[in-house]
Amino acid sequence: MIIRIALILTFAALTLFISADILLLLTIPKLSEMITQLGLVTLLSAFSLLVIIGLLTISKLIGSSCIIYFSAGQRLQRRLLFILTKQQQLKQLFYFKKEQIHYVTEHTRKRLLVADNRQQIKTLSTAISNDLKSLKHQLPRNHFLQLQKENIQCREQQDIEALIQLQQKIATIHYT
Amino acid sequence: MTTIKNWALALLKSFHALKDENLLWEQNNQEQRTRLKHTQILAAKTLQAQLKKKSVILEHELTLLRTSNDAKVAMLKTKCKQDIKDYKEYLNSLETLKNSIQNSFDHLPEAVAFTIHHHAKQLLNQMWETDNFEHKIHHELQLIKFMTTIHEDTHRHLEEGTSSESIPEKTLRLIQNKPTF
Repeated sequence: MIIRIALILTFAALTLFISADILLLLTIPKLSEMITQLGLVTLLSAFSLLVIIGLLTISKLIGSSCIIYFSAGQRLQRRLLFILTKQQQLKQLFYFKKEQIHYVTEHTRKRLLVADNRQQIKTLSTAISNDLKSLKHQLPRNHFLQLQKENIQCREQQDIEALIQLQQKIATIHYT
Repeated sequence: MTTIKNWALALLKSFHALKDENLLWEQNNQEQRTRLKHTQILAAKTLQAQLKKKSVILEHELTLLRTSNDAKVAMLKTKCKQDIKDYKEYLNSLETLKNSIQNSFDHLPEAVAFTIHHHAKQLLNQMWETDNFEHKIHHELQLIKFMTTIHEDTHRHLEEGTSSESIPEKTLRLIQNKPTF
């Protein structure tokens, strides 16, 4: 209805502008000027009316959207979604916590293993060193130095298998 | 002028007729409209009730899930702590085993004692690192068998008082016949 009024006002303004032109052609400038003013006011009111309608419609839409958004149904639906998301989050959190615990445990075990390996290597290397010292006079100098170098190298590389082999080699020399 | 008046009158008449028709339609369908509106309100209320019920159920499930997850995490932590403790004890017992071999077999080269210890540790790690339950059991049995053999060897050596040059034969045979899985 209001749109209709706005349209009527626009048409009326246009009619007034046309009549003002006609009056100008008929050389009645004073009346033409008045009618132009009237046309302008009419056009302005038509546009103002349109703007007001627009603003009213927008506020009405905002209001109704707010009412729908805060309605009990929508609130409950949002609550449900929230709970479902929370459940998913809890499941993910549980999985990552489990992974974290496994990782920490494995890391601790490996640390223990490394420490034990280091201790074994140290003991074995000391034993090899003592054996070598006892064989020092029986072995050629170069061979003795070579074996000592191998012992240090294996200890630094933390290679227990190579150290065991070296010890076996020295034991063989010792028994022969 | 009369023609324009007639046109205007006809237009007004048709406008009024349209309005009458609209009013008549509204009168005829008023009952149905009211019924529909009522049904709509009822459906909305039912939906709300269902949603409320579902949300209560889900909240309960959420609480249960939280409690069960906390309990599982606590259990897992305890199990892992126990695992670490067990592993530490295994390493200590292997060390003790190595010392007992060295003490029992005086003339045994250090390399042999370390080889036995190294082999036992390898078995222990294989047992620990496998995810397959059957393989785990297999490796555990191997480790137990290996440790029992070492004990038997040292015990026999001490009991029989065999020559000081003797070696833990059975144990070394086990290492040589290293089984693969």
